[in-house]
Amino acid sequence: MSVAVCLLLYAAVVCVIAPRLLPPLTRRGSAPGAAIAVWLIVLTSVLASWAAAAAALVVYVARTWTRPDPLALRACFAAWRSAAAGQHGVGTQIGLWALTLVVGAFTVTLAARVGRSLLRARASSRRHARSAHIVGRRVAGVDGLVLDAPQKMAYCLGGRPETIVVTSAAIATLEPAHLDAVLAHERAHLAGRHHLLLAVTRALAASLPRIRLFTVAETEIARLLEMCADDTAARRHGTAVLLAAILALAGADPIPSPALGANTVGVCARVARLADPDTAAARVRARLLLAAVTAVVVFGPFAVWAGVHGFTPHGLTPHNPLPCGPFTA
Amino acid sequence: MARGFGDLEAVVMDRLWECDGATTVREVFEDLLRDREIAYTTVMSTMDNLHRKGWLSRERDGKAYRYWPSMTREQYGAALMREALDAGGRSDRVLAHFLEQISAEDSAALRKVLGRVGPVRVRSGKGAR
Repeated sequence: MSVAVCLLLYAAVVCVIAPRLLPPLTRRGSAPGAAIAVWLIVLTSVLASWAAAAAALVVYVARTWTRPDPLALRACFAAWRSAAAGQHGVGTQIGLWALTLVVGAFTVTLAARVGRSLLRARASSRRHARSAHIVGRRVAGVDGLVLDAPQKMAYCLGGRPETIVVTSAAIATLEPAHLDAVLAHERAHLAGRHHLLLAVTRALAASLPRIRLFTVAETEIARLLEMCADDTAARRHGTAVLLAAILALAGADPIPSPALGANTVGVCARVARLADPDTAAARVRARLLLAAVTAVVVFGPFAVWAGVHGFTPHGLTPHNPLPCGPFTA
Repeated sequence: MARGFGDLEAVVMDRLWECDGATTVREVFEDLLRDREIAYTTVMSTMDNLHRKGWLSRERDGKAYRYWPSMTREQYGAALMREALDAGGRSDRVLAHFLEQISAEDSAALRKVLGRVGPVRVRSGKGAR
């Protein structure tokens, strides 16, 4: 059984199961920090599996490549002989090379795409922040830039310069205490470096739009980050104040926005958990459940591998004559 | 968010948006000199940068250039708002909105959620979590 194939299978299984299993566990936002950690562990384990599988395959192919006369007739005959002897056949070998090529190309392309997307996001955010610093006004008592606009909005941009933008319409709507809660929420985003996480998950989702794991992870993590920022703001200014601020800003906007999305679900969940907080026991239960899922995701494959390894005689056997590469485990 | 030296571009744009018509570097420099120590060449290169980035338009007038804002502050603000609203979607800008823009029906749905969970059980000041 080959390590590389195992890793690819494992990644595929996680890609299928995680986007169905995790959202119901994390949606309620009982322990948003822990939930984000679990999502990140799942994403990392899939990406690491792909990278490790690609590396293992490349190493294996490179080793067989540098053997004496790999392409010469003798090697061909040897390969045929071994195929006839029921050992690694030419077909297997070609299949392996093809697999190596595909997995390697996929990994490299993915890394390049994510990197490019991150750079683009950074440049674009910077440009927006620079413009906001020039256009926005400084208003006494508001720790942020005020943009004259009829939409009620508040948002933040990470990176340098760190920027919080509030529109004049939002300021007009919010009482000073509510505005402070909104600004505390945005500052929590910046202090927690949430923009970095968002940038990475967004780049992954944009690079692999067909794999549901990444698109679901992007929306779920974005929602959980909002909940984390809510918790920080609520600790500072009180839950009632924060709730009032959310409701004040959520009031129907005089300006119809073209950018409406399915985000209301997230807002409703935020309001529900603030208005009706979980008990301490429920939070502990949620954490335990998440820890159990993490343990299965991370240690499950090790357990399987150890099990398989335990039952297979290690070393040279007639059916497994190549002691090199990742295909002997 | 105090304005440091790095925000000179913002300061210059502020002045130009406030005054009517075109202005020379000399006029802006003398205006700024009332508030701070600054070199003429710094103001000149800042305004040249702003011109290069499209914030200022200029026209040669004798030996000097006369500068004026390419768009009003409101126009730039509206453009930024459009960008920010768009960023929730496929755009590659990373913004964390306090709230996504929501419609009247959504807002009603929100109030229904609040009605369902009953009167807000909060311990004000102490926080829930």
